[in-house]
Amino acid sequence: MTSGMSFEALASLFDARTMALLGRTLGLGLGAASIALLFGLPFGFLVARTNMPGAALLRPIGAVPLFLPSLFLAIAWAPLVELRGGLAATLVLGFSTFPLVALFSARAFERVDAAKEEAALLIGGLKAVLRMELPLVLPSAFAGASVAFAFAVNDFATPDYVSSVGPKFNVYADEIFANWNLVKNPSRALVTALPLIALTLFTLIPALGLRRKDSLATLDSGFRKPGTLDLGSLRIPALLFALIPLMIGAFVPIGRLLLESAGLPAQLQLGEGVDLAAAWATMQSSFSQALERSRADLANSILYATCAAAIAVPIGLVLGHAIERAPRRLGRTLELLCLLPLAFPAILFGIGAVFVWSTPATADLYDSGAMAVMLFAGRYVAFPVLLLAGAVASLDRRLEESAGLSGAGPASRLFRIVTPELRGSLAGSFVLVFVFCMRELDSAILVPAANHTAILRVFNGVHFGRDEYVAALALLLIFAILLPGTLWSLFAKKRLEVMR
Amino acid sequence: MSTKAIEIRGLEVHAPSGPAKSRPRLLGPVDLDIEQGDHVLLIGPSGSGKTTLLRAIAGLSTPSIGTVSLFGETASSGSKLALKPEQRKLGYLFQGGALWPHKTVAKTLGFALSAGGVAKPERPARIARMLEMVQLDGKETQLPSELSGGEAQRLNLARALINQPQIVLFDEPLGPLDAPLRSALIERIAFLQKEQGWTAVHVTHDPAGAMGIANRTLHIDAGKIVKDELHDSASA
Repeated sequence: MTSGMSFEALASLFDARTMALLGRTLGLGLGAASIALLFGLPFGFLVARTNMPGAALLRPIGAVPLFLPSLFLAIAWAPLVELRGGLAATLVLGFSTFPLVALFSARAFERVDAAKEEAALLIGGLKAVLRMELPLVLPSAFAGASVAFAFAVNDFATPDYVSSVGPKFNVYADEIFANWNLVKNPSRALVTALPLIALTLFTLIPALGLRRKDSLATLDSGFRKPGTLDLGSLRIPALLFALIPLMIGAFVPIGRLLLESAGLPAQLQLGEGVDLAAAWATMQSSFSQALERSRADLANSILYATCAAAIAVPIGLVLGHAIERAPRRLGRTLELLCLLPLAFPAILFGIGAVFVWSTPATADLYDSGAMAVMLFAGRYVAFPVLLLAGAVASLDRRLEESAGLSGAGPASRLFRIVTPELRGSLAGSFVLVFVFCMRELDSAILVPAANHTAILRVFNGVHFGRDEYVAALALLLIFAILLPGTLWSLFAKKRLEVMR
Repeated sequence: MSTKAIEIRGLEVHAPSGPAKSRPRLLGPVDLDIEQGDHVLLIGPSGSGKTTLLRAIAGLSTPSIGTVSLFGETASSGSKLALKPEQRKLGYLFQGGALWPHKTVAKTLGFALSAGGVAKPERPARIARMLEMVQLDGKETQLPSELSGGEAQRLNLARALINQPQIVLFDEPLGPLDAPLRSALIERIAFLQKEQGWTAVHVTHDPAGAMGIANRTLHIDAGKIVKDELHDSASA
């Protein structure tokens, strides 16, 4: 492994090839963010605020495309459509990240005071309500789109897969990976990544500001939750619209993987005879094979993700609380620092882990599962920090002040007064970190300890001989990803808060 | 000959959620006639159903039983809203203002006119006239957060009146104001009602302050009108 930052590496940032890569990556991010905004904003409104049929059920289902690894969308759609290259990658990442905009928008629509909304309703009905609320909700929607942009420009697996089944679609994350593989020079990788980091920060920092802007909607005391808006004759068209991103981002990919696990062809023709007994037998065989061959990888994925979430959430609680309750300037600086792990491309995160921990002194740690846990927790700690900071912000400060006046110290106030009030957000943070760790591929690909996970198995499988076993393993992984959130939604009384 | 602005028969409103049989009754049964041009005060303890009655008249909450008619036209019958809230030609002054935080004074009124279907060329003159009436001229570019309590309530009043409603519903709009501001605003309301001739239903916790402009006071308790007093007023 070589080290040192060369002038040549810095100079290469401005050559035509780098600029072309950056342009392509920017196009990918803008395209994906636009799709996410186009579908996420109306979806968030429909599920959070209207009497659209099935709105309550579709709301949690709306998060599924984000929870599925975007790679799965790509591998499920590739045999179904001819689309390849940049457009395919953009569509996959757009529909994969649309829930980010939907979640942000739904939350913002719920934070508009009922009286403000009724004032518009009395004047001009639903149309006036939407016209009045849109400027209040757009900052949140744009914040969601900014995060979608950051996800898209940093994604490695989807463009990589799209390139493997069609014309090469090279993006910046690929370049960092290729550069690392070529010279194994972490400084060079960092230098190569600088434009992407700048691009991501350039998007995420305004996103934080935009998120704070939606507090406009809740400035008044005496906030009253807005009621359900009647869509009238638009209920069914609204439902059909809301189903589009879910079909593309969740139902079709899962359905397609199910068919594949049963050994059925990519495009079933209508009227084509299907031997159901044989398909069922194939499916059983592929699932038992997947369990048999990848049981340890699945167990690793669950263990690493659980441990990473268990570490990240308490850190998120302490830092999130500090961001909101520290003096303003300090809080904002802390918030920015906490955002950095998200701004770094995942590939670079993996390179950093290799560089820092791959030493003789830390070899045992580097080769152990603890390395994977640290890698995942570090990568995703920003989520609980930001989510819990938002939750603390919406908590009445006087609760803590009164406890302080009664003699409770900072730790006691945090854990005995604040924490019980944030149960929904804490559980939401845990599930969010768990899900993202379960689907984490880009940073794990370079770290040997994190290679023995189910998502890596699927990644390798689709590149080296895709078959029923790979589809079954992908489905098992999806099941494990969705299980905690589903169980919580079914049995817990408190709503799972993944957005405040 | 007097015309009935509001006619209510056997009106009942129940809590919106919970099992149908066990939903608590929030209001009613209420029978009530309000003549055009009246200024009716609704007074009673907290939770007695004053705001619920106002919201049922506005169509913001759905009654369970009974009818509400406005100027002879059925607005709601049972739980069916025959007229949507925006079709009722009402002005509503919300408790706490409910001003749109992102819209300046002029834009708030411009939005209300636009949503009410007033043609664009007509709007500036209407806004200017209304701002003059509520004494907010010169504040066009200010946001609600930049207005004083009294100014915010005058904007609330201007928004309610800008589309020339026939009925104006006041939901405790004067509550947060101190005494001098309250009496100044009451004077303004009295002046505007006299000039424009609308009918007012006015929820208040401070009947003494608003008594001067009302010609009738309804006492409401546990969801029912328990006392109906007619009296003289400066404006009626």
